[in-house]
Amino acid sequence: MPKLTINGQSIEVPQGTTVIQAAKELNIPIAHYCYHEGLSIAGACRMCLVEVEKNPKLQIACNLPVTDGMVVYTDNPRVKDAVKWSLDFHLINHPLDCPICDQAGECKLQDYYMDYGLYTPEMDQRKVKKNKAVSLGDRVVLDQERCILCSRCVRFTKEVSKTHELGIFNRGDRSIIATFEDRPLNNNYSVNTVDICPVGALTSKDFRFKQRVWFLKDFDTICNGCSTGCNVKVSYNANGVFRVRPKVNKEVNGHWMCDFGRDIYKHTNKEYRLEAVVEKREDLSGATVKGKPVALALQEIGKNLKQAKNIALVLTAQYTVEEYEAFLNFFVGKLKVSSIYYWKNNETSFDSFDGLLIRGDKNPNTQGLLKAAQKHNVKLLPVTEFDKSASSFDFCILAAPENQAVYPDITEKCQMFKKSNEVVCITSCYNDSYNGFKWQIPAKSFVEKDGTFVNFKGVAQKIKAGVKIIPTSVSLEEVVYGLTESMGVSI
Amino acid sequence: MSVVKRPSPKAKWYIPGILTGLKITIKHMLFNLASRKDMITVQYPEEKFQYSDRFKGNHILTVKKDGSLRCTACMLCATHCPAECISITAAEHDDPEVEKYPISYEIDILRCVFCGYCEEACPVDAIRMGPEHQTAAPAGDNFIYDITKLAYRAENKGGVLSKVDDQERHKRGL
Amino acid sequence: METKLLTQHYDKPEYQSLKGYQKLGGYEALKKAFSMKPQDIITEVKNAGLRGRGGAGFSTGMKWSFLPNNNEPRYLLCNADEGEPGTFKDRVMMERAPHQLIEGMIISAFAINSKKSYIYIRGEYMAPIKIVEKAIREVYDAGLLGKNILGSGFDHDMDVYRGAGAYIVGEETGLISSLEGKKGQPKLKPPFPAVQGYLKKPTIVNNVETLATVPWIITNGASEYKKYGTEKSPGTKLFSVSGNINKPGVYEVPLGIPFKDFLQNECGGMKPGYELKALIPGGSSCPVLTRDEALKSTMDYECMSQLGSMLGSGGVIIIDDKQCMVDLLNILMNFYHHESCGQCTPCREGTGWMNKITTSLLTKNGKLEDISLLHKIASHMLGTTICALSDAAAMPVMSFVTKFRDEFEYYAKEKRSKVKGDVHYAQAHH
Repeated sequence: MPKLTINGQSIEVPQGTTVIQAAKELNIPIAHYCYHEGLSIAGACRMCLVEVEKNPKLQIACNLPVTDGMVVYTDNPRVKDAVKWSLDFHLINHPLDCPICDQAGECKLQDYYMDYGLYTPEMDQRKVKKNKAVSLGDRVVLDQERCILCSRCVRFTKEVSKTHELGIFNRGDRSIIATFEDRPLNNNYSVNTVDICPVGALTSKDFRFKQRVWFLKDFDTICNGCSTGCNVKVSYNANGVFRVRPKVNKEVNGHWMCDFGRDIYKHTNKEYRLEAVVEKREDLSGATVKGKPVALALQEIGKNLKQAKNIALVLTAQYTVEEYEAFLNFFVGKLKVSSIYYWKNNETSFDSFDGLLIRGDKNPNTQGLLKAAQKHNVKLLPVTEFDKSASSFDFCILAAPENQAVYPDITEKCQMFKKSNEVVCITSCYNDSYNGFKWQIPAKSFVEKDGTFVNFKGVAQKIKAGVKIIPTSVSLEEVVYGLTESMGVSI
Repeated sequence: MSVVKRPSPKAKWYIPGILTGLKITIKHMLFNLASRKDMITVQYPEEKFQYSDRFKGNHILTVKKDGSLRCTACMLCATHCPAECISITAAEHDDPEVEKYPISYEIDILRCVFCGYCEEACPVDAIRMGPEHQTAAPAGDNFIYDITKLAYRAENKGGVLSKVDDQERHKRGL
Repeated sequence: METKLLTQHYDKPEYQSLKGYQKLGGYEALKKAFSMKPQDIITEVKNAGLRGRGGAGFSTGMKWSFLPNNNEPRYLLCNADEGEPGTFKDRVMMERAPHQLIEGMIISAFAINSKKSYIYIRGEYMAPIKIVEKAIREVYDAGLLGKNILGSGFDHDMDVYRGAGAYIVGEETGLISSLEGKKGQPKLKPPFPAVQGYLKKPTIVNNVETLATVPWIITNGASEYKKYGTEKSPGTKLFSVSGNINKPGVYEVPLGIPFKDFLQNECGGMKPGYELKALIPGGSSCPVLTRDEALKSTMDYECMSQLGSMLGSGGVIIIDDKQCMVDLLNILMNFYHHESCGQCTPCREGTGWMNKITTSLLTKNGKLEDISLLHKIASHMLGTTICALSDAAAMPVMSFVTKFRDEFEYYAKEKRSKVKGDVHYAQAHH
């Protein structure tokens, strides 16, 4: 293993490591735009220049393999001056768009200007004018003026999504990023190009102008869009959740996530949520009453549950392992319920896989549910069989899917559930199909609760409560807790 | 233990002080009776005092030559506002050269502390602190000023022109 | 002593055809080469001290020996994308003696055991493309290309590839990209082409003149070749001379002759009424030499690098006293701005910036500070990019600005040329 010294710190790295990777190990910052861990090396931005002893020319750290005994400097005046000028070359034709640019606040040009620049610009010639706000398909907007031509997005479509939409056209300072014949950039991973764009050239149509990034805070969690379980960062503030971005996890999703996963924040926000308990009152001739405290509602449900003889449980794989554990422990362990139905999304494409990340199983915790069922010796019945014995149930508890978009059969299935006497629907999102149910209890969305998701290959990953959107909402564990109290059962 | 400083015995001689004060008051009274035109006080609210342009009063949103808002909805004013009284909703403009503009711009004038940071933060001279100072209004009036009030109220006479002109900047290739 | 090793028959029209070429001793070297071992050919070329004639002056034999020693397919590419302003020797070579090049290529291919070679000719060279294509057809008909050439058991195929008119493709990795059908942009090194080049296979890229010299070395031997030129720069070189001289053209001279003699004897001296002011010795990307430097220089790689310039590709540009240096630099900057591939930031943005500054000087908007700014920009472009185009743009700027600073300052202060007087930019350039 070759050993190198960077700024006086030594480290031993595996053969074939580049200097920029070794510096990352040592926590030595090296400025870069075009280099990205998940992509091939372009060597175009010339920001990562470092001085190597016994080499008269400055070298780019991203394409410099470590050799034994190499001595590298990243912070001497010569390197700093070179990086400052590389940065200046990036900036001379960059428009002064920061006030209206969505990237401002997390822009690498701004960051490096604070680190290396802080000079008075000497460029007083006319800047090169290019097209602004060019729409690239359904999700991405391109600003050719702001582009620094690092070619990350081009390499992404070439190497990762393998769809080859983007390219650099023309040459010299007339170069632009564009799609061939203005065809749209509509692959299922297009918004990744926005994430990897180090400047504000590519912006997301969904997030565009919604918030300034400095008003947002991030927390890490797991995407609940499908069974891949991509690690994600969720950006939120007091007004709700605004965007979802991938977080690096080489075991699961690498650096990327799909475009469908970008939309999972939407159903956690207020406008889609069930905000309070909804009760259908028989004594008011079927009118619904909203706003009963959850604890009271659970007390009443508990009372009815005690008298129930034939209870059915309908589960979706959208809840955490801990919630299933509590639920099955209570209903199977204590109440000896045996009719437990497993509601899958779209059966036909359930096992499909696109080769990169997207899976047909649109639930984050299918494996977790199956394992919990196995542990409690429960046979999960397919939900289609509910119909056979629907009228015999005098009580049905439904843990409804959080991501309703992937359950197109909700209305149809709810008609089926309504055949049983009393239905308690625990749901985080509002849906008209639930209106006939006796009870609707607001559930927590995945950004509001702690727990574990088990992905398709059995990797268990923690999710954390990062934000509170509906204060009254409860998790399945809390539902069970409420019921045990009112029923006087101890677990 | 705290040491309380007692007033000096001299301070007890307040009668000369009162007389000095009365002298000033009476002098002004007689002066004002002689020439009412030079009176310093004004008969508010019928008469109003004209403050200088530098007075930090109610906000004005400036406009471009075509009369549209100069504001680009960059939210720097909202970021710097210590009272957090500015709320802006941005939207995409049809013209890609403009790109971003505010569809709503609201200042909660009762929360505002008139510090002028918004004016300082603005990169395009879109918000100014104007010379008007009356925020008082009957109860039930709207104290959340919107674009119509901030930019196009009667006092602004159709809008105050911003000093920063995009067209000029584009011409100079900036 | 006869100093025309390559060009002695260039004035004979029949030299273009296979028959005429063979009559004058053509393809004898090939027969001799087939009787040698490939390794011996490489050693012979290495011993001859032949240096690449394309501009960098790297030892050809050495380059060949960098190829990995395995049975992977490998390619020989001839770089005939002669785009350097001031250089036009390859065109003459291909037009007058296409078979010299083809013979040299077959020998070189045999030496490096390549089964396929391409001649990459710049798109603007219509006549040379036609001539070389015709010559290749003749050679195929005569059985000197194809399967089992001259019964040696060596197979070789050759093709002409027409460029699309980009200067940057004259850079070897750019040429490889273009040949692969991609955008002509230089590739990151390492890996070097000798290890991973065309289609990710080992590739050797040589200049036309380099390859055309190989048959002579094989026929006459390395020691004979070393009799010409200097010790470190052996042999002869073709120079393409332009400027206000009596006889502009392409001349073959032994390396190391004094420039003064070259100008007087070969080029017939300056035109009457013109005085030598400056010299660009090896194509537009080489730093300029002042009159004094030029007159004491000898035309070889060492002397030129001692004077801080380069012999480059041998495109001698003679600048006379009626030329305005600001104007000339602006023309060069226009060229490099237009030709930068746009991959590396310093070159993409820097060439544009320098072009704008020189233009602003000419349009009378220049400031005195712009002159030192030009030098600053150029010095920070030097050596920071993938290929040498940024250096090629930076070096003339730095030498122009330091050596002829007075002309630049005059332009910035007086808003007119020191040499030409009041010139209207629009008139001069459009």
